[in-house]
Amino acid sequence: MSLWVDKYRPTSLGKLDYHKEQATQLKNLVQCGDFPHLLVYGPSGAGKKTRIMCLLRELYGAGVEKLRIEHHTIVAPSKKKIEINTIASNYHLEVNPSDAGNQDRVVIQELIKTVAQSQQIQSSTQREFKVVILTEVDRLTKDAQHALRRTMEKYMSTCRLILCSTSTSKVIGPIRSRCLAVRVPLPSTEEVCSVLTSVCKKEGLNLPPELAKQISEKSGRNLRKALLMCEACRVQQYPFSADQEVPETDWEVYLRETANAIVSQQNPQRLLEVRARLYELLTHCIPPEIIMKGLVKELLSNCDGQLKAEVAHMAAYYEHRLQLGSKAIYHLEAFTAKFMAIYKKFMEDGLDAMMF
Amino acid sequence: MDEYDELFEMEEHFNEQYADELEVLAEMDEESANAAKRLKQDAAGEIADIEHLLDDRPITPKAKRQKQDAGVVKRLFDASQNLEVKGTSQVDDITPPSSPEHYEPSQPSRATSSALDISGFAEIPETPRRPASMAQASLRALRRPPLEGDYISVTDSSGTRVYLRKKEDTGAQQAVDSRLITNSSGGLGLLAVPIAALREQEAERRHLQVVEESQRLTELLNRTVTDAFTESESAENDENEDPENGEGKASRLWVDRFSPGHYTELLSDDFTNRCLLKWLKLWDTVVFGRERKTRTARSDRQTANQNSFKPNQGNQTQNRFKSKIEMTEEILDAELDQYRRPKFKVALLSGPPGLGKTTLAHVIAKHAGYNVVEINASDDRSAEVFQKRIDTATQMKSVLGANERPNCLIIDEIDGAPAAAINILLALLSRKDGHGAETATDAMKKKKKREQILLRPIICICNDLYTPALRPLRQQAFLLTFPQTQPSRLAQRLSEISSRQGLKADTGALLCLCEKTDNDIRSCINTLQFLYGRGLKQLDSKTIQSVSVGQKDQNKGLFHLWQEIFQLPRTKRKRIGEAFEEVPGSGSGAQRFQHILHLASSSGEYEKVSQGLYENFLSMRVRDPNLQSVCEALDWLLFSDRLNQEILRGQNFSLMKYLPFLSVTFHFLFAHTTVPRISYPHGHHEASSRLLSSRNALSTMLVDIPAAIRTRISQLTLTLDVLTLLLDIICPKLRPVNPQLFSSREKEQMRELISTMLAYNLSYRQDRTPEGQYTYMLEPRVEEVARFPGLPPRRQLTYQAKQTISREMELEKMRRAEQLILQRNPAGKKEEKKSAAPAAIRNHQQRLENIVKQTTVESRPEVDFFGRAVAPKPQRPQPSSDTGEGCAVLSMGTAVGNSDVWFRFNEGMSNAVRRNVYIRELL
Repeated sequence: MSLWVDKYRPTSLGKLDYHKEQATQLKNLVQCGDFPHLLVYGPSGAGKKTRIMCLLRELYGAGVEKLRIEHHTIVAPSKKKIEINTIASNYHLEVNPSDAGNQDRVVIQELIKTVAQSQQIQSSTQREFKVVILTEVDRLTKDAQHALRRTMEKYMSTCRLILCSTSTSKVIGPIRSRCLAVRVPLPSTEEVCSVLTSVCKKEGLNLPPELAKQISEKSGRNLRKALLMCEACRVQQYPFSADQEVPETDWEVYLRETANAIVSQQNPQRLLEVRARLYELLTHCIPPEIIMKGLVKELLSNCDGQLKAEVAHMAAYYEHRLQLGSKAIYHLEAFTAKFMAIYKKFMEDGLDAMMF
Repeated sequence: MDEYDELFEMEEHFNEQYADELEVLAEMDEESANAAKRLKQDAAGEIADIEHLLDDRPITPKAKRQKQDAGVVKRLFDASQNLEVKGTSQVDDITPPSSPEHYEPSQPSRATSSALDISGFAEIPETPRRPASMAQASLRALRRPPLEGDYISVTDSSGTRVYLRKKEDTGAQQAVDSRLITNSSGGLGLLAVPIAALREQEAERRHLQVVEESQRLTELLNRTVTDAFTESESAENDENEDPENGEGKASRLWVDRFSPGHYTELLSDDFTNRCLLKWLKLWDTVVFGRERKTRTARSDRQTANQNSFKPNQGNQTQNRFKSKIEMTEEILDAELDQYRRPKFKVALLSGPPGLGKTTLAHVIAKHAGYNVVEINASDDRSAEVFQKRIDTATQMKSVLGANERPNCLIIDEIDGAPAAAINILLALLSRKDGHGAETATDAMKKKKKREQILLRPIICICNDLYTPALRPLRQQAFLLTFPQTQPSRLAQRLSEISSRQGLKADTGALLCLCEKTDNDIRSCINTLQFLYGRGLKQLDSKTIQSVSVGQKDQNKGLFHLWQEIFQLPRTKRKRIGEAFEEVPGSGSGAQRFQHILHLASSSGEYEKVSQGLYENFLSMRVRDPNLQSVCEALDWLLFSDRLNQEILRGQNFSLMKYLPFLSVTFHFLFAHTTVPRISYPHGHHEASSRLLSSRNALSTMLVDIPAAIRTRISQLTLTLDVLTLLLDIICPKLRPVNPQLFSSREKEQMRELISTMLAYNLSYRQDRTPEGQYTYMLEPRVEEVARFPGLPPRRQLTYQAKQTISREMELEKMRRAEQLILQRNPAGKKEEKKSAAPAAIRNHQQRLENIVKQTTVESRPEVDFFGRAVAPKPQRPQPSSDTGEGCAVLSMGTAVGNSDVWFRFNEGMSNAVRRNVYIRELL
């Protein structure tokens, strides 16, 4: 518990640093007694999980923080054994069904049903329902999501679901309509800065505001990342200087270099090199969507205005294909090649225009 | 011959070994002689044949008939001359007849002689009458052939030959005559032809039939070619197979009909054939017993013959083979084991399909005098059944029936057999081996086991020698690999077949067919039959090119496919030769399209193919300045990926037919005239294995992270946000000094570092590099996941720092574990402490008392000395619950007086001595 991220994480709704209005709304939600299913969504590092845990604490009290890890073995109808880890307290259960891969439907059906079917014994003292937290709902298969639909309605009396995902686009409509959607947006730069300074103050450190701003920008307002960066800065060099170099994650640096390589030269040889780099990224467990996104971001910054639209269009096209297919490397490379072709043509046209 | 002697220096062995071969050669000679004779006979025509037949005819039926007819013919005496003439005319008309009329001429001539005879006794009157009859006959019978006019020669029983002049008769007269005959015969019987004549006719017909049948049978047996249709090629066809002419020929496959029935007709490589035959002959000693000696004798007899034959066979090839295979083979041949069996009990033939492996095995086994028992893939080859069948085949022998020959087991398609079955075979082989050592021990067992020894040859046949299941068998088997059939030989055989079937085919076309099917005999013949069956009478290379039948769905190998895709076919066409040049259209798009499509779809491994294309297409030498074709190719790859996904997800295999088009696209986009350099696609596999390993590292890290933190991080956030920075955070600047000397601030830092590492389940593990240096590695190995190559290296801790951290972590872990135990059962711990404390005090007190006593009694000044100062002295007695120094004796007295002091003798055997002994007494 010694990383700042963990150490200074707020544990109750009242202590949350930003989106305070939302926090009070959540508090009211708990108090009014009619607690719905929730779909909490927002980008990574915005504080979804923190908010959920605060909410649980509001619901059940401090007992909810006594967590334990449980190992479940579920036998699928195909006799395949699925091992899954859950984190549970006496009042809730947290599952990441996508750990089970394609068999997540079975996890949903078996695990959640068993939890939902068991009644709370002392309903007078506690809430009459348990909470099941499903994380990474956007990575659930369609089958699993459909399996969830009926469960959500059927066991309403004993069980509430809190779904947690980065976007709602991959959550099917029926589920979205059954849930109260709570969006947790990223904190603003100022909010990140204030959190950083307050944490540093608690640590007894003095954080120059310039550095705080730099960190919050580098982190892309991802608070988790910002805090980690800040701590890394602290480890690097304690008496902070305003123009200190902020450590970055390696993969982002690597991705940026890849994008630069694409822009600097366009031919099959370069494409081969880029392929090797893309493979490298993929093998480091970076999801292809994120590679695509990062690549587009970097490439767009190198593009002219009119090219931007075309590149963005191509990116969307290939990203869609990527979602449909299974071999990410083909799609990423296809996008790269397409970009190379467009970019080269554009540059040559520009050169011709200059000549004449 | 001589070469062998020089090389192997064992002549008698040589003769034995070559006995079979010599035999074959001898047989071949005989046969050719036979064949020649038969051919001559055939050429001579049927009349000669029948004459020959008639020569053999017994005379008895003639005499019998003579008697019977004597009475009848007597009356017809007048007509006899006419009849005779008529008979002769008939003879003239019907040249070869096996009909009764043929005998008529001689018949009436005798009838005339017996014409005057009234009684039934022919013998007595016959002799005197003979001259008369002769005289009678001499009216028309001439001693010499007449100078003019037609005549026929008649030889009587005594051997004198007369010539009869033919006289023309009018048709009317003949008719009257014939009526006369009927009338006259009508007197005795109702038949137009005398019953005897009919009988004879019948007998003759039967005889002819039998002769014909036997002739055919001998032909069948000898397999000599009697080709009525081909005159020109008949000479060279001599050695070849004989089809079963006649009935049922259309229904049978040509492959079966024209399959070689004899050793000399085999198309497969001579050397291979010989090797197998030799191996099989090695079994003769054990299987046939004495027979081997006779064989050697025969071979001696035939050495001369063989010597004359030997030079004809290509000596160069033999020399070449001798160097590598034959050497070893001869060596293994030389020694038989204790049961006089060859060293290798199993022969394993291997080679691609259609080379005649099965045929060879059958032919050779038959040739060596075995009864063939075949087990192939169509049989049940589960372990038990296999065992049973092997036992039956190797240990039993058919008693009933004609073939009492010993069995030779042929296990066909053994590469598809389950491993259990092969193990049974191996057990059979090795069983007797183990038994060999055992024999000396007890005779009973030996006798019993002796029955189980493998005493029959086994020939195994497989396509793929390197099937994993065959690995153990390979070491124990006599391996024979089949080389490709020579296209010239195959083409010759094909031309024989086609000409026999009336299919005109030139050699070029047949060679082309051979090439197309990769010298697969079966495929060639099947294609021929197919073409013939479609009504094709003329075969040229063009039709063979165009027809898509001869092609097997053969797997040429991925590299071949990739090469075909990335290479324009122009150069290849030149290499193949004249056959292709006739087809200029093959360079056209459609042809190439079809070709690549066929190749791709027959390979079947779309996944591998597309990966190979993907990894290689960028290194092709194609002018593509705008990356247009690269983009298109990648779009096609996306399409195929999409298809694959759809096929797998929806089990919609009908989409599979679109997959091979990927190859076609790549061919049209990237094919080049130069020979492409293609590397095997490893990228995907490597990537997936590395992905797996990094996933594993992450999940091992996640598994033991405590729940409170575990809720906040998933694998994704770990890789994207946390890991790199975490690794930075756990590398603080530490002074390279002993941790005891750290300042409080540094100690705090250290404490935090350690708790972080524990919280995230990281630790350092000492590792030894291959160079022998020790390093501390982070465990689990998430560093590999977080770090990318080519980026500036991050700061690393020194070895000392890591060592320090590692040690501190161990301490911390122990501390925590202790705490945990304490937390888990705090009550029990306290209880234990409580219970432990009084006991300790008790012992303590006892000891202390002793010490106190001793000190008080003996060493008073030592206390002083020990205490060093006066001040601590009064302090000291306090914890030891001692009173002041002044009352030491007193206290001693009370102490000794009040308490029982026990001396325990726990050492030694006995603690029987136990009594109260006072210090006082001892002092």
